[in-house]
Amino acid sequence: MSEPAVAVTELTKVFPVPWRRQEIVAVQNLNLRVEPGEVYGLLGPNGSGKSTTLKIILGLVSTTRGQTEIFGRNSRLVESREAVGFLPESPYFYKYLTGAETLRFFGKLCGLSRASLKKRVDEVLELVGLADARDRRLSGYSKGMLQRIGLAQALIDEPKLIVLDEPTAGVDPAGSREIRDLIVDLKRRGITVLLSSHLLAQVQEVCDRVGILAGGVLVREGKLEELIAIENQTELVLQNASDNLLHEIETLAVESHAKLIAHRRSTTTLERLFLEATTKHHSKE
Amino acid sequence: MIEARHRRFSFVRVLAIATNTFTELTRLKVFHVLLIFALLLIGSSVFMARFSFQQEFQILKDVALGAMSIFTSLLAVVATARLIPQDIEDRTIYTILAKPVARFEYLIGKLAGVLLLLAIGTLAMGAMFLIVLYACEQTVLHETARQTMSPEQLNDALRAVRASALNADIVPCIALIYIKACLLGALTLFVSTFATTSVFTTVVMVFIYFIGHLQATAREYWLQQSGAGWITRTFLALVALIFPDLQAFNLVDGIIAGAAIPLAFFVKTAALGIFYGAIYTLLAGVVFYGKEL
Repeated sequence: MSEPAVAVTELTKVFPVPWRRQEIVAVQNLNLRVEPGEVYGLLGPNGSGKSTTLKIILGLVSTTRGQTEIFGRNSRLVESREAVGFLPESPYFYKYLTGAETLRFFGKLCGLSRASLKKRVDEVLELVGLADARDRRLSGYSKGMLQRIGLAQALIDEPKLIVLDEPTAGVDPAGSREIRDLIVDLKRRGITVLLSSHLLAQVQEVCDRVGILAGGVLVREGKLEELIAIENQTELVLQNASDNLLHEIETLAVESHAKLIAHRRSTTTLERLFLEATTKHHSKE
Repeated sequence: MIEARHRRFSFVRVLAIATNTFTELTRLKVFHVLLIFALLLIGSSVFMARFSFQQEFQILKDVALGAMSIFTSLLAVVATARLIPQDIEDRTIYTILAKPVARFEYLIGKLAGVLLLLAIGTLAMGAMFLIVLYACEQTVLHETARQTMSPEQLNDALRAVRASALNADIVPCIALIYIKACLLGALTLFVSTFATTSVFTTVVMVFIYFIGHLQATAREYWLQQSGAGWITRTFLALVALIFPDLQAFNLVDGIIAGAAIPLAFFVKTAALGIFYGAIYTLLAGVVFYGKEL
């Protein structure tokens, strides 16, 4: 059995409330395992413990009980973060630095040599589509561009694990789509992705497995298709089907004691409509 | 398990954080305002009223060295107090510490950036002070040379002017001003590791600044009282141990009076400042290690 990219065992985190005899249980008896190469989505409403869990995995917050490991190394050890890239929620970088300078700064923190740093900065800027904006100060970047430069700094050291906290929060549908495409690309490259989100439709598109947190407790976990499948229902999507054919199918279904639950025209998603309309508008300009 | 290639302490990582912190601080308006105000004050001290050249040099040294001491201390506190709270508020601390960067490296890098800023500030103010002092000395020398007196009297007069203007004791005086500012920077960093806002850190540091400057005088007064019992003595010892005696770094009065600074005294005072600075940095590291981010 291969070593997990992330292993969380019996994790509990309690935050004491200063000056009061109270405490907040952020995470309770959490067990989690993210396998190498998979995209794992940690879902849950605001305040469910997603960000706290990610921070504990990255060693930014200590555990009250339990243990977290990254590729077999305790998260509290600095060296456990050698193979990790992290993009926090709504990141804010030093706005006086340009895109390339930002990546050079984070590359130096990862211990990249001068020669490999130059090469990696070029590669990563190309990968996130910011090559043209490399010498522009971050104060002039849009929200989507900041998110992409955030992703670029997370990738600067060719990590084996990327942790993304609400990667599409506050980003428009086009920017959101680009980030999702990048996540799919990371998966194709064999990079493990652990992301948190409360935007379920987006998670559904990219994740292999998901875990749902509520009140700090993992209430559901599993492969996406298994979790959302309705066992006794089947969908047929037909193109250019005549009325006669549809009638025949319905009759056949009734004859074989199956129940037709819905019969409707296929629709596109609002997001797809938005992307098509805005892309066409831009190409006309 | 992935093979570890991590170094426990990396000078490159510390340098990257230090240079970035320095760049960040030089873009603060407060730095520009403080530096310009200090330079103006030092420059304008040449126009102050005088009755004799000795008084002119005394006033110039008093104003300039006093301004340097206050402005470097102010800069050390204001610049350091905002570093950690700002990084936490902007979440940049998460991206930095999610890299293989030890918390102590982060702290050292931040402090090194402040010390670099203070060094630049002290150098700029010191250079301005020495230029003004040199210009005044030259003016007085010219005025003295024009006076009618015997060659022997003239030589004595010129020697007296030179002795009361530029002299080597100014350098250790400026060095101790810098060390005091560094010590305050380290102490501010320590306070900011457990403070929640930069305002709280600054307010605490204002109190510490006054305690540090007044404790020696207060101690002398209390100890001279006949009723100073063991409670008072223990309290005074604790205050002296926790808070640095900032007045010890103030050599301005001696310089104005024309007193020489013995090398041993300078080394002892500088070592005391560096020792306290190192202890506060270490304490900051201990508190910051356990801080929940």
